[in-house]
Amino acid sequence: MKKIEIEFIVNGKKRRIFVKPNDLLINIIRNDLYLTGSKYGCGIGECGACTVLLDGEPVLSCLTLAVTVNGKEITTIEGLAKGDELHPVQKAFLENGAVQCGFCTPGMILTATALLKENPNATENEIRDYMRGNLCRCTGYVQIVKAIKSCVAEQKSD
Amino acid sequence: MSLFKYISPKTKDEVLEILQKEKSNACIVAGCSNVLPNIRDKEIKAKVLIDITNIEQLKGIYQKEDKIFLGPLTTINELIYSDITSKEYKVLTQAAQEFADPLVRNTATIGGNLVTASPAADIAIPLLTLDALIKIESTRDKREVKLKDFFVGPGETILQDDEMIVGIEFEQSDVNKNGYFIKIGQRKAMAISIATVAVNLEVRQNKINQIRIAAGSVAPTPVRLTGAESFLKNKEINDKLVEEAIDRVREEVKPISDIRASEEYRRYISGLLFKRAFKKLADSSIHQFTN
Repeated sequence: MKKIEIEFIVNGKKRRIFVKPNDLLINIIRNDLYLTGSKYGCGIGECGACTVLLDGEPVLSCLTLAVTVNGKEITTIEGLAKGDELHPVQKAFLENGAVQCGFCTPGMILTATALLKENPNATENEIRDYMRGNLCRCTGYVQIVKAIKSCVAEQKSD
Repeated sequence: MSLFKYISPKTKDEVLEILQKEKSNACIVAGCSNVLPNIRDKEIKAKVLIDITNIEQLKGIYQKEDKIFLGPLTTINELIYSDITSKEYKVLTQAAQEFADPLVRNTATIGGNLVTASPAADIAIPLLTLDALIKIESTRDKREVKLKDFFVGPGETILQDDEMIVGIEFEQSDVNKNGYFIKIGQRKAMAISIATVAVNLEVRQNKINQIRIAAGSVAPTPVRLTGAESFLKNKEINDKLVEEAIDRVREEVKPISDIRASEEYRRYISGLLFKRAFKKLADSSIHQFTN
């Protein structure tokens, strides 16, 4: 099957690669671009481990065909830190012990980043609602919610 | 995953021409949240995937004369954030908020939710109570079908191989602005509905002037409960009437037992969901109504 050339921005850098029509974005990100932070979990859009930001919005890269991101901008977990300076959400996850095995963490952090951008004053209920599609098999939800809460600009109770 | 050809047309007419040529070899995709898992499970054997996400004509939520138009490419998240739906047609927003999770909602579309024709299609239920009209086109024809006549069976619609949905419309009426949707799932996130009910209600002088009731996951397709509707129409609202209507709802649904719930539970819960939704709407429409 003929490969198709696509051009897209990944973590601020323009990339041009050839992909097959049935290549999933997650596989291109991991196997061709060597950005292995994003994880392949369930493969059917249930777990959120493959979350990336597509034009700023969190989407599931296991349910996205690579050809469809032509001309778009993607942020993976590798693109959040500025050099050695971690993103505030990454720092909060470390400080609050929100990382156990780490498999869900890239997806968790990217979804949390999108949540805080959309709703900088999110309450705990709003955080739990927005994060509901990102699953943690270690069940470290309490610490994850605590970490995200610590990033909320204005702390308020529900 | 099996191989397929990928085409990304820029206009609706191009899509229709490809469909006319490829017929059942082709599969339209937008959000991909249903199609990709189905291709992997070999439930869909399409040789050509037509990506319609770049077609502007199929996007947007706007007012068109006395109607509201929804492009089939409207994402589930757009139903939550659009001023039109979130302020006036809350029944759609309520269903969207219960839909999967925010990640899937960013890409899944209402057109996709309808053509997948799952008995549990969450967005079909509020659209049924809005008495939505589905606009369908092919290279040979243009037609409009009421959503209640659109579904044929699980995974089946009246759409022919060369046809596509080009728009969804419903009237801007008082009854459409007073709706309520409730979903029961096994958990909050990513749960396929055990049962869903939506009700739209217009009350005049304590009498039911107009009512539409729809339910999901309790029949082979999303359904309107027209029997319960005609029983309620023009009647004065009181507790006895509501109790009778609950029985009618339970008689009218045709659920099955599956891994999520039993037939008996689904029948029972449909009546209860109807009661909750109806009371919510009736309480805000009249004051005399108690408990």
